Amino acid sequence: MPLLNDEIRQEVSKMLAGLPGPVRLVMFTQKFECEFCTETRQLVEEVAELSDRITAEIYDFQADRAKAEELGIDKIPAIAVIGAQDYGVRFYGLPSGYEFASFLQAIQSVAAGKPELSDATLRVLAGIQKPVHIQVFVTPTCPYCPQAVMLAHQMAIASPMVRADMVEAMEFPHLAIKYQVMGVPRTVINETVHIEGAVPESMVVAKLQEALRA
Amino acid sequence: MLDFKLAPSQPEARPSEEEIYDLIILGGGPAGLTAAIYAGRARIHTLVITGPLPGGQPANTDVVENFPGFPEGIEGPELARRFVAQAERFGVRMIHDSVTGVDLSVRPFVVRTDMATYRAHTLIIAMGAVPRRLGVPGEDRFFGRGVSACATCDGFFYRDKRVVVVGGGDSAIIEGLYLTRFAREVVVVHRRDQLRATQIHQERAFANPKMRFVWDSAVEEILGEKTVTGVRVRNLKTGETSVIEAEGVFIYIGMEPQTELFAGQLELDERGYIVTDRRQRTSVPGVYAAGDIQDPLYRQLVVAAGTGAVAAMEVEKYLEMYPQNHQG
Ligand SMILES: Cc1cc2nc3c(=O)[nH]c(=O)nc-3n(C[C@H](O)[C@H](O)[C@H](O)COP(=O)(O)OP(=O)(O)OC[C@H]3O[C@@H](n4cnc5c(N)ncnc54)[C@H](O)[C@@H]3O)c2cc1C
Repeated sequence: MPLLNDEIRQEVSKMLAGLPGPVRLVMFTQKFECEFCTETRQLVEEVAELSDRITAEIYDFQADRAKAEELGIDKIPAIAVIGAQDYGVRFYGLPSGYEFASFLQAIQSVAAGKPELSDATLRVLAGIQKPVHIQVFVTPTCPYCPQAVMLAHQMAIASPMVRADMVEAMEFPHLAIKYQVMGVPRTVINETVHIEGAVPESMVVAKLQEALRA
Repeated sequence: MLDFKLAPSQPEARPSEEEIYDLIILGGGPAGLTAAIYAGRARIHTLVITGPLPGGQPANTDVVENFPGFPEGIEGPELARRFVAQAERFGVRMIHDSVTGVDLSVRPFVVRTDMATYRAHTLIIAMGAVPRRLGVPGEDRFFGRGVSACATCDGFFYRDKRVVVVGGGDSAIIEGLYLTRFAREVVVVHRRDQLRATQIHQERAFANPKMRFVWDSAVEEILGEKTVTGVRVRNLKTGETSVIEAEGVFIYIGMEPQTELFAGQLELDERGYIVTDRRQRTSVPGVYAAGDIQDPLYRQLVVAAGTGAVAAMEVEKYLEMYPQNHQG
C-alpha cells in the first residue's frame, strides 16, 4: 500500500516538476526498535519517485555509523535533505500530517539553494561566527508548526554555521521531556534559548542573537 | 492513521517596496483570498500579505461540511490550499509576512510589516479573528508551556494527566472530547450552568466518563512555579474560590477580531469589530474590510468569502472613480 494517494502524488509531482537542482534524501533507518522507520523510508522512496532530480539513499543507522556521524545524525528515523551542498536541513521522525508540507518545502529550498529571508535576517546570519543548532519540536497535527520548521530550515540554508532539525515530539518522547515540550511548535536554539509558538522572523532572529550571546 | 497534508505553496521572493499598489489585501484567509481572486481577474495590481496562517482558519479545521461545492465535505487544510492556489492562478503577488501597523491618514495608505513597508491606493482588511485569551495571571507566562489553544497540536503532551478546558461552546466540547484520548481527566470549567454547544456534542460529552464539569465558574489564575499545577476558579454564584489541580489548560472561549492595529484610525464597534456598510466600506474611503474581522454575527467561511468578493468589486469601482490614483 502506498503512503501517498494518487491525488497527492499528482500534486507533488507538479510541485516538484521544475526543481532547479538535484536533491538527495539521505535516510537513516534500522530494522528493529524504530517505530516509524519503515514508513519514513517508504515516504522518502515514494517522493523520490516523483521527480528525476531527487534520489533516495537509505543507510542503516548501526551498520553505517560513519555516514551517520558525518552528517551529524544522532537518532532515527532521520532524513538529511541535501542539495548542491549539505545545508544542515534535517527531519527526525516521519514528516506526516502538516509536516509533509515542511518536507516538500525543504526539498524545494535546498534545490534552489537560496533562502527566502529578509535582508535584515540575512545580514545577521552572515555575521555568525559560532555554530547554531536549531531544533523545532512539532506534532503532525499542528497547523502552526510548519511555519516554524520552514523558517529554521531557511536559516540553515542561509548560513553554513546554522543547522536546523524538525523533531517529531511524539516519536522522541525522551527529548520532549528533556526540553520540556508541553506545546508545539517549540524551538530550541543551542540548548539555551527557546521560543513558544510560530513567531515572526524578526523575533526568531532576536532569539538567535540571544543564544549567540549566551 | 497516517495522513499527508499539502500546504498552500509558499510565496515567492519579496515584492518591491517602491511600487505603489492599487490594492493591498491584509490577510490571506477565505475573505482575503476571495478578494484576491476577484482583484486578480480584474487585473488590479494587488499585493496580498498573508500573515501567519495562509488559507486562514480552515488550515486549522478538521473537516468543513457546509461550504458549497463539496458534497462529501472537504478537509480544512485542503480547502485552505485551494484558496491560495486559486488566488495565485490569477497572478496576484503574495507575501508571507505580518502586518504590524498601518497609516490610514496619508495617501497612498501605508502598510508596515515585520519586514518592510508597502503603499497602496486601496486596502482590504481581512485579518480575521484569533482565539480569545482569558487575560488572567499566569496565562502569558505559561502559554505554550501548559496553556494552549490547540488541542490537536498539544494533546499528546498530556497523556494520563488532568487538564482543564475553559469554555462551554462547540469548540470547547469538541476539543475537550478530543483530549480524552490522551488525558486521564478533562475538567470543563464554564461560566454558566449549562453548555452552549450543539446538542449532539453535549450528549457525547456527558456520556464520556473522562469528562467532568465545573459549572458557574470562571478561571481567575493559572497556578504553578515552573510548570502549570492548576487553576484557581471562582464560583460566580457563591463567590467562593477553589483550586483545580491540572497540568494543562486549554482555552476555548471564542474568537475575537484582530483590530488593535486600527484602533483610532477606523470606526470599530463596542466589541472591536470593524464597522462596515453593505458595500464593505469602512469609515475611511478607499479602505474596505471583509470576513470575520468585521462580522460579529455569522463568522462562516461562505460569508467571509462573500464579503471578500464584495470588497474587491467595490475596490474596482473605487479605482475607476479615481483614475488619477490608478497605475493601470
Ligand atoms: C475550528 C474552526 C472550525 C470552523 N468550522 C467552520 C465550518 O465548518 N464552516 C464555516 O463556514 N466556518 C467555519 N469556521 C469559521 C471560518 O473558519 C471563519 O469564518 C473564516 O475562516 C473567516 O475567514 P477570514 O478570511 O475572515 O479570516 P481568517 O480565516 O481568520 O483568516 C485571517 C487571515 O489573516 C491573516 N492575518 C492574521 N494576522 C495578520 C497580520 N498581522 N498581518 C497579515 N495577515 C494577518 C491570517 O494569517 C489569515 O490568513 C470555523 C472556525 C474554526 C476556528
